[in-house]
Amino acid sequence: MKMSLSWLASYLPGPAPDPSAAAERLTSVGFIVEGREGEGASTVYDVEVTANRPDGMNHRGLAREAAVALGREFRDPGPGPVSESGRPAAELAAIVIEEGELCPRYSARVIEGIRMGPASAAVRARLESIGSNAISAPVDATNHVLWDIGQPMHAFDLDRLAKGKDGRPTIVVRLARPGEKLVTLDGVERTLAGDQLVIADAEKPVALAGVMGGLHSAISDSTTRILLESAHFHPGAVRRTAKATGMHTDASHRFERGTDPLTTLDGLDRAARIIAADCGGEVRPGVIDAVARPFAARTLGLRLARLGSFLGMEVAPERCLSILAALGFAPERKGGAGDVIEVTVPSWRIDVAGEIDLVEEIIRCVGYDQLPETLPPVFEPGESAESSILEDRARDQLAGLGLTEAHNYSFVSGAENAPFVPAGPGEPVEIENPLGEPFSTLRATPVVGLLRSAQHNVRRSRADLGLFEVARSFGWKDGQVAERRSAAFLLAGRRQSHWSDAAREADFFDGTGIVAGLFSGLGAPAPRFEAAPFPFLAEGRSARIVAEGGAVAGWVGVLASPLAEGWDLADPVVGDVDLDAIPKPAPVTSVEIPSRFPGSSVDLTLTHRKEIPWRLVEETVKRAGPAELLAVDANNRYSGPGVAPGFVKTNLSLRFGSPERSLSREEVNGWRDSAARALLALPETGVDGID
Amino acid sequence: MTEAPFVLDEQLARFELDAARARTSAEVQKLRVDWLGKGHGVVTAFLGLLREVPKDEKGAYGAGVNKLKARVEARLKELEGAAAAEAARAAESARAVDVTLPPRVPAVGRLHPLTVVRRRIEASFRSLGYEVADGPEVESDWYNFESLNFPPDHPARDAVDTFFVKGGGTGRDRLLLRTHTSPVQMRTMLSRKPPIRILCPGRVFRKDDIDPRHLPVFNQIEGLAVDEGITFADLRGTLAAFARTFFGDRAKVRFGPTFFPFVEPGVDVAVSCVLCEQKGCRVCSGSGWIEIMGAGMVHPKVLENGGIDPERYTGFAFGMGVDRIALLLHGLPDLRLLLENDLRFLDRVWSS
Repeated sequence: MKMSLSWLASYLPGPAPDPSAAAERLTSVGFIVEGREGEGASTVYDVEVTANRPDGMNHRGLAREAAVALGREFRDPGPGPVSESGRPAAELAAIVIEEGELCPRYSARVIEGIRMGPASAAVRARLESIGSNAISAPVDATNHVLWDIGQPMHAFDLDRLAKGKDGRPTIVVRLARPGEKLVTLDGVERTLAGDQLVIADAEKPVALAGVMGGLHSAISDSTTRILLESAHFHPGAVRRTAKATGMHTDASHRFERGTDPLTTLDGLDRAARIIAADCGGEVRPGVIDAVARPFAARTLGLRLARLGSFLGMEVAPERCLSILAALGFAPERKGGAGDVIEVTVPSWRIDVAGEIDLVEEIIRCVGYDQLPETLPPVFEPGESAESSILEDRARDQLAGLGLTEAHNYSFVSGAENAPFVPAGPGEPVEIENPLGEPFSTLRATPVVGLLRSAQHNVRRSRADLGLFEVARSFGWKDGQVAERRSAAFLLAGRRQSHWSDAAREADFFDGTGIVAGLFSGLGAPAPRFEAAPFPFLAEGRSARIVAEGGAVAGWVGVLASPLAEGWDLADPVVGDVDLDAIPKPAPVTSVEIPSRFPGSSVDLTLTHRKEIPWRLVEETVKRAGPAELLAVDANNRYSGPGVAPGFVKTNLSLRFGSPERSLSREEVNGWRDSAARALLALPETGVDGID
Repeated sequence: MTEAPFVLDEQLARFELDAARARTSAEVQKLRVDWLGKGHGVVTAFLGLLREVPKDEKGAYGAGVNKLKARVEARLKELEGAAAAEAARAAESARAVDVTLPPRVPAVGRLHPLTVVRRRIEASFRSLGYEVADGPEVESDWYNFESLNFPPDHPARDAVDTFFVKGGGTGRDRLLLRTHTSPVQMRTMLSRKPPIRILCPGRVFRKDDIDPRHLPVFNQIEGLAVDEGITFADLRGTLAAFARTFFGDRAKVRFGPTFFPFVEPGVDVAVSCVLCEQKGCRVCSGSGWIEIMGAGMVHPKVLENGGIDPERYTGFAFGMGVDRIALLLHGLPDLRLLLENDLRFLDRVWSS
């Protein structure tokens, strides 16, 4: 927001403040001077005024702050006398407020006999210095008032306002009738809704209250009689209209944040003086002042003990009193046991609603650099959320497994997301107001983002990839947006390539390996992989991850070719583990000591139809085995010459051991034979060396 | 046969000459056969002659032969050991490799800089007793705005461009993507009693167009402390302690007034630029200060909404952008680098 230093200085008696010092001090009390143009008296600041301080969005208000910040006197010379003549204004126009809540006050003056022309050089120079174009004396007068004291105003052509029953042009502040139309000053015809506050004449809307005037009733070169509006509107009413129409004006910006309810008359007088001086009209006696809700000043108490204990430092009561007085709070100290300063909140400080706001006034003027640096009292710390610990442990595990962590946008395009929805937490979650179609949908799995990352790298000649991302997956489920904690990964290109070996492409078992490694690293029992079709995975290289206890903990597989090609990838391996479905290991309270006896292992080779899954082989052996059977491992899988088509040879090891004794060769061989017999019971299965 | 010892000495000298020439195990083996061989070995032959030596000379002769034999055996053993060692050396040298060839490096995974920076920030506050709390990314209007003193239809909401969920309801239940992690603070206050010291890291969403300084998804860490007797000075001290552990012993913090609806007073927090020691540089835009977070004392209305009596308890809150701090620490020109996942970048940023 542009603010002129010389305009500010008009409220600070004495020499104009030094531009650098004023900028620094304003910033220190919360009006951040972000930029500066010009030198000396023609300095113009760019000030960031926060939404809670509309009173600082005009020169008088900001000068008040500057005075406190600089320790200077603030003086408002006021509008000065307005010379009035002719018929009383009240005979020339009437005002009716139908919506007192939304428009507590509407004040107006009538000026007749004007000749349209430019405003004086002084007024134009001020407006132009802050980047506001001069238009005509009446418009410039209202703009000047807005930037001077923060009262937005509007000038109507009085002859364009329809007359009421009593023959006077009548202003009616009311809600729009649904479907009513108004062409605003910018030439746009707007269809109004029933919750929008309008200024109407006796027949039709003539302005969007607090936002913009209508074109029909606007002043023009031929205007000779004007009605000046200076009103106080409810912030919410103006905001509703501005939002609904998508409009944002200097006036709406201030009304939305809250204007001073007591400046309507001040504004009228200031504008009337400029117009009368520059356009030669006669200001009609009196103000038509409709007050629907009289302003009631708020009183607050500031407990000095509370101030000290809240800040962690003492501020002398005298200092508090002088700060509050300079800011216009009329403070009064009520001594005694409850040492309290009572204040009356000035009408322009709509942000000050409680004691805490007074505390802020004191400390920001004392200066935050005066605050001591202390630490809060010691206390008993608690435990971090299990979920966040788990996410970080998963990240460490996956990085330990050789994958690089990625971070992606949480939203993707609907088309990118669609294939993965069947495996996500629910129906796609779409953004109502996305940045664009590529960001329209919350992803059903972080894999979508990893595919994008992989594509980015492949296009830059980095084709051997291992990426992971621990993030949320989204889906509508049972009328709610479900968020799943996913540990997703992607493998593409070669694994572990080295000059000494033939390169090997990442395959399905690298994928299940990552999943198993993650489970193992998190201390969970090994998961099972069940063949399961997912439409986005290659048929036959697609599995569901099942945790011990039967909970589905995600999926893993090779991405289906058409999808993969779309991402410039060939056979990438992808997976998504639901972290919350990984069983939490119970705390280990007694560790089983490893056996002192070495144990023994034997191999078996069986020939079987390739449709017989390893898991069946493993379970068959385990069921047939004694308590001493510790593990069943696959050593080798072979098909080709020497094995009938449709069959495979599987070589497996059985490991045995006992915590109490060494095992004899005979008993191990006996166990091997019973395992072989159990395997022979499988359909069309043979075991080498056994008939 | 008085000369027998002399003959044996001569033989010993001859053996030493032969032995000096034997290097390889084959040569040593031949030496053994020549001297100790069953049939024609020299020592064997001299031993065989013992039968023919007169009785009175047998003692001296026998001792001489035995001396020769012992010497030959000892020397052969020595030579055999040396030959075996030489053979082993030769076998090893046949297996020598070019040690300068590229090593077989196991895949080395890396954490993303955003994770690394987040953990560093968390660690600083953990040492002050903070614990990490967690909450949903899709939130209701009430948790994200209304409970945090953003009334409906309030201009303070304009500063926070929000993504809404399609079909996500209306009013206080309307679903949106959280614009800050403050809803986690609210959920924590509602679920337990003070004292509270929490950190709320996580993804947040703002409808900003993507450019070098803005991303619609970024990562935030907020903190909240609520207890009896917590002061504004405690906020300053806490953030100063953080600045020192995170940015270095000489880092200082500066508070500037600003407005956030959920705190009062609200402050912008700047840290003294540790890159230029406040002399002014590109990173701090010449000001000597870098704004890194917003903070303030929790607004009494927010405490009330969280079920906490604002007369009895006070608290402070702060929040910072992990992405922005990562940008600062790594001297990155563009936030988008953090979400591209270019491995060339991720590898480099790690080694920095």
